[in-house]
Amino acid sequence: MLYDIGTICVKIAGRDAGKTCVVIDTLDEQYVLIDGQTRRRKCNMLHLEPLNERLSIQKGATSEAVKKAFEAKGISCTLTTPKKAKPKPTKSAKQSVDASSTPTKKEKGKVSAKKA
Amino acid sequence: MPQGMFKSRTLRRVAKRVPTGTSVIVYKQRKPRAHRCALTGEQLHGIPRRTPLHLAKLAKTKKRPQRPYGGVFGSRATRQLLKEEARETR
Repeated sequence: MLYDIGTICVKIAGRDAGKTCVVIDTLDEQYVLIDGQTRRRKCNMLHLEPLNERLSIQKGATSEAVKKAFEAKGISCTLTTPKKAKPKPTKSAKQSVDASSTPTKKEKGKVSAKKA
Repeated sequence: MPQGMFKSRTLRRVAKRVPTGTSVIVYKQRKPRAHRCALTGEQLHGIPRRTPLHLAKLAKTKKRPQRPYGGVFGSRATRQLLKEEARETR
């Protein structure tokens, strides 16, 4: 099969286009799991161009193992970690304000006029 | 009779109905033509048709696709280029 586990490919579509990757797992007839210079993700075989080279990795290898295998071949890879969603800030309950304690706009105006 | 500056065909004429019931001509600026692929000539996607004044206000990511040769070559041409490069290295 053209896209066996360990086959080095070049991605030809998407924002990772032009980057080298390796097939980690075959999901079905159309999709494979890739990792390497690209993000670790599912990819359509039509968006890959296979090369003649192979990497000796196991099925479902970790990103670190893929990085080591690539560096042995002389291809540099950076480990990317997925972004963690920041927790949404919770709104604190507003403190109840007494109507008698706060001055009204008319009273504020009178005070400022007296000062002037 | 319109003013001299409004006779220019660089402006487009839009008929508008006003509240009194009459129709007036409103002169508007024309949008630039869509960008085309430098290799194949097909229309490029992901590039807004805006004048330089409006484009300058947009973020870099809103002006072209985030892909090699984005905004220069189309997706089809880019794929072909990358395929040929990969086959040469085989």
